[in-house]
Amino acid sequence: MYKLAITPPATEPNGVIKESSIFIPFIADNTDYQKYLEWVAEGNTPEPADE
Amino acid sequence: MSVIVDGSNGLIFNDASTQTTAATGFGFKNRIINGDMRIDQRNAGANTTPSNGSYTLDRWRVQASQSSKFAVQQNSGSVTPPSGFKNYLGVLSASAYSVLTNDYFGINQFVEAYNMADFDWGSATAKAVTLSFWVRSSLTGQFGGAIRTGDGSNYSYPFVYTINAANTWEQKAITIPGPTSGTWGTGNAVGLDVWFSLGTGSTYTGTASTWAASNYVNATGSVSVVGTSGATWYVTGVQLEKGSTATSFDYRDYGNELRMCQRYCVVYGDSGQYTHLGIGTAYNATALNITVGVPVPMRTGPALSTVTSGGNWLNAYVGASGTTSNPTPQLGEAGVSCYRIYVPGAGSGWTAGQSFWCQVITSAKLILIAEL
Repeated sequence: MYKLAITPPATEPNGVIKESSIFIPFIADNTDYQKYLEWVAEGNTPEPADE
Repeated sequence: MSVIVDGSNGLIFNDASTQTTAATGFGFKNRIINGDMRIDQRNAGANTTPSNGSYTLDRWRVQASQSSKFAVQQNSGSVTPPSGFKNYLGVLSASAYSVLTNDYFGINQFVEAYNMADFDWGSATAKAVTLSFWVRSSLTGQFGGAIRTGDGSNYSYPFVYTINAANTWEQKAITIPGPTSGTWGTGNAVGLDVWFSLGTGSTYTGTASTWAASNYVNATGSVSVVGTSGATWYVTGVQLEKGSTATSFDYRDYGNELRMCQRYCVVYGDSGQYTHLGIGTAYNATALNITVGVPVPMRTGPALSTVTSGGNWLNAYVGASGTTSNPTPQLGEAGVSCYRIYVPGAGSGWTAGQSFWCQVITSAKLILIAEL
């Protein structure tokens, strides 16, 4: 459902891609990010980012 | 112009008009954005069957514990709006659904805490507010809704209003005493939530006209719109203002109202032509960095979504030669009024630093989302 994403020149994930179409940044105030954190807190794990 | 100050009737003007209550102040009187339902960036008036938590007309969100029970459309049914309005939000029930205990269906708007801080809610000096709106339904009777914290802290005020005649616009006003308790948001978080119920189970339904430390979104005994197939429920002129009196609707100019919506959502795209997005430069042989401007600082760094047309949404031009593609855009750094958007896999054979002019193709969209 979620896949980690790296936006160059960053080398670590700075967001996730939801359902292959929506990029959600790792920004605390973003409500889509908050929902992602809830999903992680439920024990889920995102797919790794592309190399 | 002469004005008579009358102890019983307030101000009486020489055209016989009167003002019987004190003005409640000027400038952003109405804390609801897009209360007259003019702005519909995402759907441009198209009919949608939105999923739970998705947005319809700008700032108006759908709450639906079960999918596909109703459709939403700007000016659904093409009835004449109430005098002074050109648009409304229309709901059409898709079936005769019996709500279950934990069900909820509704239309709501989160008000940013910055925009209601002067209410002093949660303190001894909490101010009363008045919610007013025009509503029309194929059903009659008592309908419900609620004002609540909206951030999961469970404090709510269910309200009721009565629709007396079917298929007739009626204006309603509900005054809500300021809550001296509850945990209300601050800053750019959710401040409060205005919710119109379209059908709600008992878990989220409470006694009307009293604050409760519960997550209620409806009042006991209210009509369920989703309970009748083909039922309609239309609303416009929604206003939430400080004070105990409903005053005239706070008409704002279109540009300002649009910018207020764009703090939460910006849509690039047009059904009739290409939309210029910004200048891009190749990051490498296949990826671009595009500088995308926004008309107003957004509430927070936005999520990025796209709508494709013919399987693509972007066209990156060098001279007159364009490359269409369907990359998943990623957010880079933010500026004051622009973002760096990185689009991997937008082309091939490019040279780092090569310049492009980038457009959203006809009928496609790039959507920046910073909703509450």
